[in-house]
Amino acid sequence: MRRRLPAVVVAFAALGAAFVLLPVAGLLARAPWERTGELLTSDVAIEGARVSLIVSLGAAALSLLVGVPLGLLLGRASFPGLTVLRALALLPLVLPPVVAGIGLLTAFGRRGLLGGPARALGLELPFTTAGAAIAAAFVSFPFIVLAVESGLRSLDTRLEDAAASLGASKWYVLRKVTLPLLAPQIAAGAVLAWARALGEFGATITFAGNFRGETQTMPLAVFEALQSDPGAATVLSLVLVVLSLAVLIALRGRFVGVGS
Amino acid sequence: MKSRTAFLAAAMLVANACGSDEPAAPDSITVFAAASLTESFIQIAADFEDQHGTKVRLSFGPSDGLATQIQEGAPADVFASASPKWMDAVAEDPGVTDRADFARNVLVVITPADNPAGLDSAEDLGRPGIKLVLAAEGVPVGDYAREFLGNAGIADDALANVVSNEDDVKGVVQKVALGEADAGIVYRTDVTAAVAGDVAVVEIPDDINVIAVYPIAALERSPGGSLAPEFVTYVLGPGQTVLREAGFLPP
Repeated sequence: MRRRLPAVVVAFAALGAAFVLLPVAGLLARAPWERTGELLTSDVAIEGARVSLIVSLGAAALSLLVGVPLGLLLGRASFPGLTVLRALALLPLVLPPVVAGIGLLTAFGRRGLLGGPARALGLELPFTTAGAAIAAAFVSFPFIVLAVESGLRSLDTRLEDAAASLGASKWYVLRKVTLPLLAPQIAAGAVLAWARALGEFGATITFAGNFRGETQTMPLAVFEALQSDPGAATVLSLVLVVLSLAVLIALRGRFVGVGS
Repeated sequence: MKSRTAFLAAAMLVANACGSDEPAAPDSITVFAAASLTESFIQIAADFEDQHGTKVRLSFGPSDGLATQIQEGAPADVFASASPKWMDAVAEDPGVTDRADFARNVLVVITPADNPAGLDSAEDLGRPGIKLVLAAEGVPVGDYAREFLGNAGIADDALANVVSNEDDVKGVVQKVALGEADAGIVYRTDVTAAVAGDVAVVEIPDDINVIAVYPIAALERSPGGSLAPEFVTYVLGPGQTVLREAGFLPP
């Protein structure tokens, strides 16, 4: 049964909706529609979309690789310093992305802590697509950590206990019971991480630079276009708006369940 | 960089908030200046504040970005550009007064202090494997740098070495000073005391160098009254000493 809301709540909700709608409406109003075709097929747009796709999917994959285990550890393990580790794992959500970029440079840059060993292995991250993916992964993997950890809290542990009592190994329980039960949360976390990676700007331009076809993602292309051709910037922005909306609609608010 | 985006957003907000019905306080002016003018204009603005008792608010960025912000309604009273191109754009829309050239600048090549790629001359920028950082096209110093590479006859080779197109000249300086890039092309005046220890300079011969001309003007719609032209006059007068000390050439 639906309960009616007080009018004042509805009024402020309308304000909230307008707050999101107006900038999108502004982009639509300002976009130079007669140049849209030409702009959408321009090198900047195509290369930007290609790099964005590679970088955001790569970042989501990297995030899954380290975010799921870290979420499991934070949700299950018990050791001194857990609280600090949990805060650290969420730090990238709070840090200004440019700070993340500087941090990444000091860690993985040419003169960074791991710069020497990485170069010895032939790995150079600054100014490469891989570097852009690392930057995006850094800011997005906490979403997966959060999703896994909160999923564990609402998990029915009796199922795992039952599997273990029947002789299943730890690894088997994890693969066949825990992870399948967490699948919806992991999927939602991965989509959020991907979306965050798609929008990444500050850490990318600081750590990976800005080069078309290599590290220039859509947000960087929008920013560069804005300096000299605001019309092009609005069209590129709308591409990102459409893409992001499509993902959110496909997800149908499933991520609302995360953390509840 | 993120702060620049935030700034842009803030500038737009302010622009909208200070509509014509609410003029800015006349005891302060806002100066939009090319990123390469950062250190000099901070000094000049402080001197101007002391003499006139007015507050000078400064906003630095790439000249093309600043021109766009002004055209979008950002509340600038004075615009100082690193290239006539973007002053022309602002002169056309929304219009300027008291326009004058106030400085010139030349390009240099910078490398990290230890010069990891062993660059000896500007022509070495075309050598394979050099990691070169430029400012993006459209940014004055980015356009000038490409013009110089053409003059040197190494445009194709050098442009193939570019690993990043930075948003403004300070971005180029940072990438080189941090040691991530082997070389960058910036204005001579960007090798400031703050970064002098982190970078080494490779001079560009005069015959292939590019001279950047800096115009300044008051915005026609400036709400600051006579303050904006006064600031322009100040830059053309007493401000010249500061600019000369920073390495700018006379206009």
